[in-house]
Amino acid sequence: MVQNIQIMILGLALGGVYALMASGLTLIFGVMGIVNLAHAAFMMAAAFMAFFIFRDLGIDPIVSIVITMPAMFALGVIVYKLVFARSFADPAKRSVMVLMTFAMALVIEGTLGFFFSNIYRSTTPSYASEAIIAGPFFLPSAQLYAMGLSIVILGALWAMLKFSRTGYAIRATMHNRTAAEVVGVNVDRISMLVFGIGMALAGASGSVLSFVFSFYPGKHWEFVAILLSLVVLGGMGSLLGALIGALSLSVVAAFVSANYGPTWSPVTFYLALFVILMVRPQGLLGKKMEL
Amino acid sequence: MAHIEINNVVAGYGSGPDILTGITLKIEPDRSYCIIGPNGAGKSTLLKVICGLLQPRSGNVVFNGTNMTGLRPDEVLQRGICFVPQDRSLFPDMTVRENLRMGGYILKDRAEVDRRIESVLGMFPVLAERLGQPAKTLSGGQQQQLLIGRALVLRPKVIMLDEPTLGLAPKISKQIFDSMNQLKAAGISIIVVEQNARLGLKFADWGCVLDLGRMVFEGPSGTVLSDRRIEELYLGRLRKEVAA
Repeated sequence: MVQNIQIMILGLALGGVYALMASGLTLIFGVMGIVNLAHAAFMMAAAFMAFFIFRDLGIDPIVSIVITMPAMFALGVIVYKLVFARSFADPAKRSVMVLMTFAMALVIEGTLGFFFSNIYRSTTPSYASEAIIAGPFFLPSAQLYAMGLSIVILGALWAMLKFSRTGYAIRATMHNRTAAEVVGVNVDRISMLVFGIGMALAGASGSVLSFVFSFYPGKHWEFVAILLSLVVLGGMGSLLGALIGALSLSVVAAFVSANYGPTWSPVTFYLALFVILMVRPQGLLGKKMEL
Repeated sequence: MAHIEINNVVAGYGSGPDILTGITLKIEPDRSYCIIGPNGAGKSTLLKVICGLLQPRSGNVVFNGTNMTGLRPDEVLQRGICFVPQDRSLFPDMTVRENLRMGGYILKDRAEVDRRIESVLGMFPVLAERLGQPAKTLSGGQQQQLLIGRALVLRPKVIMLDEPTLGLAPKISKQIFDSMNQLKAAGISIIVVEQNARLGLKFADWGCVLDLGRMVFEGPSGTVLSDRRIEELYLGRLRKEVAA
């Protein structure tokens, strides 16, 4: 019993981190209808940013979020303007945008590999090797802080979406792009803003993963497969769905890892992705896709 | 001076063929219009061009002397022209209040938006009872009222409704037209595209008949209703259906 609770705690902590990572992906899909396969590659870029800020300037990766988030937001706006704004204007190009994000992921991976080589790295703040112990249970401090940070950022994102004028416009665009235009939402500006926010969330995720996981440029393929399974389970475009998907699948993966070995843990995500697409392609909370 | 002048507009979607093939129409203030025509005639496309959702390939749309070609939908809204599309384009998971707030999205003053919502609720009391409910839980008629209410938050000069009674029971359709009569009495110009052509023409002051992207006839609604050629071409089928 104690062991099962311990596994659940570790699974939930990891799920909180995955929820942060998946939030940007699902937000961008919700507004723009693009599966951004480069999302995890951008997370890697942010992780490298956090790594060098920590190594060269001694700034803790949690603190450096105030640098990585705005930097990635700005990069997102530039990428949107250069790549997506033009494609959006041309309906014929919209269908191939997922391939463009795939190409973008390869370019980012190649660039990071060229400059920083394909060796494993991680930031090592003091808490990275500490753990909180409460009775028979323990939780690595890094995972605890990462989960806490995820809760704060996702809470702020939820409040922004729920109560601000911009949040109303984003939700409206996620529901019905044409209807949003009809009431006066400049959907192109909102798309650009959301892509920037999604990238800022990738920035925060990169900072977090820099001290929770070891990383190298090609690691993003593992993450993007996991993130896709989370958002597909929750329902593409649903933030709450991404949270539910992340927490539930991470707990299941933690149990699989504990019982069958860590090698089988990623299989949980891929298998879930396969089963969900077969049984309920719209996920738990997503809109049914119309073909 | 006409409220809206549509001058020789040609329009279509993407790289597809022209849907509007050179349409000219003057929308006079304080007059309501019903646009009829067969499927594919370009009725909805015309409304989309006026509200800025679709840019014309040639020709222009002038509102109160200002050329509106190239304006975004939010810029057209700011000039007082609202569009209510045919596909119940609500925000289904947002509450009734949130949907109404979205109607005032282009207004910066949130308190003013809330005041206007109160006035809209006076016109549609059923919505006042359901303010906290998600829009998707409303009936078809209530959703249509919410769409009209959402447009009214901006206190527009012109409202364009695309098939407002589509899929509604006759009793509910009558309620929608009653609401539209209230708007007409309040001095708002109404342009309606209506599948039930007789109902639409009885409501409107002016009837316009579109076919193959062109205006083939326009005149007082009574004239359109009694014109034998139009009756045969565009109303005859409906009459046979009613008789059956």
